[in-house]
Amino acid sequence: MIKFTETHEWITVANDVGTVGITDHAQRELGDIVYVELPKIGKSVKKGEEAVVLESTKAAADVYAPVEGTIFEVNEQLTTAPDLINRSSESTGWLFKLKIANPKDLDGLLDQKEYHQMTHE
Amino acid sequence: MKRTPLYDIHRHLGAKIVDFAGWEMPLQYQGILQEHQVVRTAAGLFDVSHMGRIAIEGEEAGAYVNYLSTQEVESKLPGSVTYTVWCNEKGHAIDDLLVYKVSETSYFVVANASNREKDLAHVRAHAGGRAVKITPVYEHEGILALQGPDSTRILKTLFPEIETLQPMHLLKATFQQTPLLIARTGYTGEVGFELFVDQSQLVSLWKALMAVGGLHPVGLGARDTLRLEMGYALYGHELSETIYPIESVASWTVKLNHDFIGRSAIEQVAHPRHQYGVILREPGIARQGCEVYVGDKVCGVVTSGTFSPTLRQAIAIVFVEQKLKPHDMVAIQIRDKRVQAEVVKLPFIQRKEKEG
Repeated sequence: MIKFTETHEWITVANDVGTVGITDHAQRELGDIVYVELPKIGKSVKKGEEAVVLESTKAAADVYAPVEGTIFEVNEQLTTAPDLINRSSESTGWLFKLKIANPKDLDGLLDQKEYHQMTHE
Repeated sequence: MKRTPLYDIHRHLGAKIVDFAGWEMPLQYQGILQEHQVVRTAAGLFDVSHMGRIAIEGEEAGAYVNYLSTQEVESKLPGSVTYTVWCNEKGHAIDDLLVYKVSETSYFVVANASNREKDLAHVRAHAGGRAVKITPVYEHEGILALQGPDSTRILKTLFPEIETLQPMHLLKATFQQTPLLIARTGYTGEVGFELFVDQSQLVSLWKALMAVGGLHPVGLGARDTLRLEMGYALYGHELSETIYPIESVASWTVKLNHDFIGRSAIEQVAHPRHQYGVILREPGIARQGCEVYVGDKVCGVVTSGTFSPTLRQAIAIVFVEQKLKPHDMVAIQIRDKRVQAEVVKLPFIQRKEKEG
């Protein structure tokens, strides 16, 4: 299952584990990503809380946790290759994995069709 | 919002358009990193028509432009270009500009987009009874910048006379029976040219240049990373109406041996601050406004910061109260982290073409 937020994150869910990244639309809007500030492993985040900072050649952008949970893995590759997000934001350019605290958080998120509609209005 | 005659071309090329001082301008086409690299290794074409020429002509033009400028410009040879700062009576910078001396009685300046109306008012306000004619040429003109090591090869196919044009000089040429001005100037550190042409010819000049081959459109995003690698000031960052030019990276333009607006105020500055280039030695990107620490004490701010595509490192210009020297360390507060940065000599990278 994949869900989207209105702030352009995606989350895929398997059991109680979520993998989070930013959408292709978002990476195109941000431009070249040159630095990623990843969260510490073990950090608990609330739904909508700032989890990652992306620095493009122009500006910094926050990435928010789509659901509440505890971060247990980050994409270490981004430390040396932040451009992975530009090349593959919805696959190998994922940002972090978290253990989902409350699966009900997912209900309020957008599905693929709704997100597509939102970004193509 | 204002648009240049090239707006439709920018859109057609897939540019991301942003608001820049009230203008809808291309931030980038393919991407800032790629466009930056193109200018460092080949050639890029910029639409900088949001900037503007103001002509100052007449018997007293030289003396007057000299009085407006921190630089000594009147004694320069006709055909030369000089980088300068203009100040208000408090000695604060109202803009940084290039002064073009066409002849002993004909000068023009190129003002920043955000300042051109202010500069025009300034020129008119201080003219007094001087025999000068002041014309905002920008109202019917556009400007292209062709920058990069291949720019001479490309430009000389249309204008063979530019091959011998020296850095910081200009010449008159014609394009499709229309006069234009070509200056060997720029804001990138590379060999490059700026072309001033009537608005009616701007689109066809752009197309003619692109048709030569080997030239790529470059947006204002890369223009900023290119100038920052060279340590050039950007108005609103390193210079502003709260900064004395002697405190800035453009301090070398201030020649106190001639009279200019703001000189007496500048001479009385007791404790000038200082601007230095720094390279971040820990991960992060510093941005304008980040606090700068020496030891545990806040001693200034970042005026500009970015990721240097050439060095593949984060660079910044810091504006601090005390003197620093190369290899000194400062710390920059980036969100909740304090990141170590090392003072380096400007420019951050060595290039052939020099400003000023």
